[in-house]
Amino acid sequence: MNATGCYFVNAMADENTEIARGLRRRDPDLLDLLIEKYQHRLLRYLVHLTGRRELAEDFFQETWVRVLERGSQYDGRHAFSAWLFSIARNLVLDYLRRKQPASLDSLADPDEGTPFEVPDAGSPSALELTLQQEQHEQIAAGMERLAAVYREALVLRFQESMPIDEIANVVGVPVGTVKSRIYRGLTALQPWLKGARP
Amino acid sequence: MNSDLHERARMLIALSGPEEVSSAERSWLASHLESCTSCREFAENSSEAVRALRAIPITASGSLVSATRARVRQRAQELQRHRERQRVIWVCCVAVTLCTAINTAILWRGFVWLGQYARLSAPVLGTGFALLCLMPAIVTGILMLARGTHLADHNGSFQG
Repeated sequence: MNATGCYFVNAMADENTEIARGLRRRDPDLLDLLIEKYQHRLLRYLVHLTGRRELAEDFFQETWVRVLERGSQYDGRHAFSAWLFSIARNLVLDYLRRKQPASLDSLADPDEGTPFEVPDAGSPSALELTLQQEQHEQIAAGMERLAAVYREALVLRFQESMPIDEIANVVGVPVGTVKSRIYRGLTALQPWLKGARP
Repeated sequence: MNSDLHERARMLIALSGPEEVSSAERSWLASHLESCTSCREFAENSSEAVRALRAIPITASGSLVSATRARVRQRAQELQRHRERQRVIWVCCVAVTLCTAINTAILWRGFVWLGQYARLSAPVLGTGFALLCLMPAIVTGILMLARGTHLADHNGSFQG
């Protein structure tokens, strides 16, 4: 690793350590800064995970309250964003588990036991209401039709630019499974992309 | 061409980042793409999908952020109050334990003198002494339970 790379890695590690210290103290000013910094990324992840903006906004608030309550569990060894997303993910999972056990399937691995199928382009998506840019409507619709696990993998990889091992930490599956989900998610988006072309 | 090769090429395209794909794999992929139209098309579509994904505009509104901050601060205050209450309880427990230890020694001497004066048997003396020692703890426990029930009824935030 070159000197610049070392500098950034050290700077990130220092930042994570500082965040861990602040969270142990339950420092509300630090929480304010973190909310400011991660607001769009967290909301984007939650919107894609839940498929509904109102629900995502509820989880957004709940996630930060949970960060405050469980802050002492963050050790600063991993990226804060990965820990944050895993908290958000667990909240969504808990909600689905409480609300309707069957809907847990949306975050279960669809690869298990069933053949992989590219979803067909059908009725209009709820996500389209949120994602209003016309040129991205098709891709947004495609995302909405994807199984939640593929959607999640694509969002973390391409919107959050998260390394694959970090995604594996957030999602709690092996690296190979993450790679496979990204590949399958991207493959499933292809027909939608063709539809979006002029 | 073998379908495994296409699958491998598409997997490499999907992973894309330099940290995920080695230089040897990248050069293999480049030579494969030169000769394979379908994988080339997959690569173009994929990069377009990624571009489109990155451009999806989802942003948190100012009201959501300020509502979240307010909620987090309120919760932080609740937790702070809860922690202070717990601290008071711990201090009380330690103080009571210390006082009990000191008083026990003094009381025992007094009890022994009384027992000798009244000519009480050892079991009666022991039982009386045990009851006297336990009395503060019993009274404190009853008071704390009564206070906890009162707070749960009227405040709801006692559980923190």
